[in-house]
Amino acid sequence: MSIDHNLLVAVSKSVGLFYLIAMAATALVYSCWPANRERFNKAARDIIDDEDAPWQ
Amino acid sequence: MVSNLTVGERQGALAILIVLTLCGLVMAAAAAGHGDPMEMHGYLVMLFSLGVMAILLRGFLAPPPSEARLASYYDDPIKVGIIIAMIWAVFGMIIGDWVAWLLAYPDATFDAAWASFGRMRPAHTSGVIFGFGGNALIATSFHVMQRTSRARLPDQLSPWFVLLGYNLFCLIGISGYFMGVTQSKEYAEPEWYADIWLVVVWVAYFILYMRTLARRKEPHIYVANWYYLAFILVVAILHIVNNLAVPVSFAGAKSYSLFAGVQDAMTQWWYGHNAVAFFLTAGFLGMMYYYLPKRAQRPIYSYRMSIVGFWGITFFYMWAGSHHLHYTALPEWVQTLGMTFSLMLLVPSWIAAANALLTLNGAWDRVRDDATLRFMMMAAVFYGLSTFEGSFMAIRPVNALSHYTDWTIAHVHAGVLGWVSLIVFGSFYALIPWLWKRERMYSPTLVEVHFWLALSGTLVYVFSMWNSGIIQGLMWRTYNDSGTLTYSFLDSVVAMHPYYVARAIGGLLFLSGTLVGCYNMWRTIRWSSAISAAAPDELAPPELLPAE
Amino acid sequence: MFKTHYRIERKSITLAIAIIVVASIGGLMEIAPLFTIDETVEHDPNMRLYTPLELAGRNIYIREGCYACHSQMIRTLQDEVDRYGPYSLAVESKYDHPMLWGSKRTGPDLARVGGKYSDQWHTAHLNNPRDVVPQSIMPRYDWLSQTELRTQDLGDHLRAQRTVGVPYTDAMIANARADAIAQASPGDADEEALANRYGKATQIRTFDGDPRTVSEMDAIVAYLQVLGKLSDATQPKGK
Repeated sequence: MSIDHNLLVAVSKSVGLFYLIAMAATALVYSCWPANRERFNKAARDIIDDEDAPWQ
Repeated sequence: MVSNLTVGERQGALAILIVLTLCGLVMAAAAAGHGDPMEMHGYLVMLFSLGVMAILLRGFLAPPPSEARLASYYDDPIKVGIIIAMIWAVFGMIIGDWVAWLLAYPDATFDAAWASFGRMRPAHTSGVIFGFGGNALIATSFHVMQRTSRARLPDQLSPWFVLLGYNLFCLIGISGYFMGVTQSKEYAEPEWYADIWLVVVWVAYFILYMRTLARRKEPHIYVANWYYLAFILVVAILHIVNNLAVPVSFAGAKSYSLFAGVQDAMTQWWYGHNAVAFFLTAGFLGMMYYYLPKRAQRPIYSYRMSIVGFWGITFFYMWAGSHHLHYTALPEWVQTLGMTFSLMLLVPSWIAAANALLTLNGAWDRVRDDATLRFMMMAAVFYGLSTFEGSFMAIRPVNALSHYTDWTIAHVHAGVLGWVSLIVFGSFYALIPWLWKRERMYSPTLVEVHFWLALSGTLVYVFSMWNSGIIQGLMWRTYNDSGTLTYSFLDSVVAMHPYYVARAIGGLLFLSGTLVGCYNMWRTIRWSSAISAAAPDELAPPELLPAE
Repeated sequence: MFKTHYRIERKSITLAIAIIVVASIGGLMEIAPLFTIDETVEHDPNMRLYTPLELAGRNIYIREGCYACHSQMIRTLQDEVDRYGPYSLAVESKYDHPMLWGSKRTGPDLARVGGKYSDQWHTAHLNNPRDVVPQSIMPRYDWLSQTELRTQDLGDHLRAQRTVGVPYTDAMIANARADAIAQASPGDADEEALANRYGKATQIRTFDGDPRTVSEMDAIVAYLQVLGKLSDATQPKGK
């Protein structure tokens, strides 16, 4: 089977949709994963006080 | 400044500068004799390298820096970057306002090729986007990556290479437009040799970022760095693909793009739209996610939202470029895809805007009193507005009216004046006292003045261009009873005149705000620490002093 | 110690790779199919190429930033077709490296401006637009008439164009300079050879009204006069 324009367009549309869904799911799961909660809260808090000097 | 470089770094810098001078010499020699503008660029590269070399050599024999420096962050390139960014801002906005007046009074310019609208307009766009925006991004990224990693930059040479190398690219690009050197690809105008140089600089930038992250003491990478990293990486991809070209000769500036026609159009607007996404949005969101919580002294409202928004923006934006080509010879399925993703893009965009505003919820009194925080708040508001407008304009029937008109210009400036510039000014006003160890900005009143000038300038600009754009679009499509077009094109040009005057006034307001800001920043930097220490009591308004 | 360091580095590299992968999909999916587009768009075997003079004019158009205010893309909308002519087809810009579709109409679309106005009108208009259109806000380009066109390296330009896919022949490249001069100086050069190489429709005139030299004005007017005329694909013949 040769790679023609219609095939590429069909691939674009279907793979694109697949990626859209997979990507959205991954990002949502990662951000809402319970084990990550404390890490995220700490990261958000920690930057408020970071001015002094690099940690040695 | 040179005394903070180790002896090895000084030698490395000297070697780089010698190589660069030779490159300039080769360029000038190759192009000399047949009147090619690349000759001037060769001299420019030489002059730039020799100038930097002069600064380097003045401090070359200074004693090596003590080990104690490693216990602090490396801030010299950030300071220089901020100053350079403000110089570009003034340059880019002066050119911008000048060309705005030219549209109302076309003869208000010199009778010379370099001073015509077509050559100055890219100097305006590149001056503000790459000169002002790019330097602001580089400077703040150096600050954010060190603070959030709690690690000093890995060395003291590569940040200078990135900052100064990037500005050499800006200088070559923008001086080229005045000489007529351009690829004519919007926001990617610099010719092939400037493009190659930017790739070198950008690789160094990426490596520097990764090395700093690798040295971090915090296990988690703060989300602002994700945005900066996306900015660096995706801009590299876009830049390389869109600038693929074949030079006519290696001894001349002119090149022909590899792609033609519809493929070139799609590639160009894939680039153009994502330059907006990853240059003018992702990097500045990184700025917002760091400086806004810092200044407000409140953690970001939802860290999760910032992550979801990040992946949404990274994924969706890349599809949206084809909405610049609605109803053109581009196949319709690509247009539809672009429109669909542009609409979905509203979700991650509003997540970011809402996250910023919700962070401030509960601190509105601070927003009222602190113009710096208000800059950032207003930036988030304009970000929300212009992303909504962008999605709206990507709808095909809306685009039928808005495309090719000043509505696009209104939209772009709501983004770059209202969002990009305001977040930069807010961040700079927060950052400058921290970096130069001052109590606060020299004059809080002038920050206030700058805020109102910038805001009013943006509003005047955007409203006049909305009006002119919609009138233009409607005039072009109005039919009379006999079924012919009512207005000639010239009728629409004449109708634009008052709006073009109003727009130029809006730009002037914004520019004067920037000048006020420059003055205030300059005074803050020059403020000796003795005054700074005494200042809070002396300068505080009487009503704030403790009661008897 | 080494182990923690390794893990930390891996994390930032993973992030970088994830960004590249997620961001690349959109571009790949949209742009890749366009390179097979030849199978789906209209064909025009008689598509003419820009003559060296027209190409030089096109480069002046690029140099002066004309694309910032003039589009060359008539959309498939009734009012645009009524105002500017048949809507633009993909094939018409298939040899345009780069394309000049534009994004803004501060001035009118130019995709089909060729033949709409006389050479004299264009020359006068470019010298000072307000001489012919009093309300115009276009800049003046009066130095174009006084600047002699650089013709000596036109062969190199054609060769670079051939590298990126425009089918210029060896004869066209070898005679690029002579062809440019011939096109702007009727009577004293080999017009026959020029017309044989680029087609009978090639316009051979003193575009700027001054037969003594080939100026940049000759080139830009020659280019403007050929816009929309390189392809017959929009002509309704046989339909």
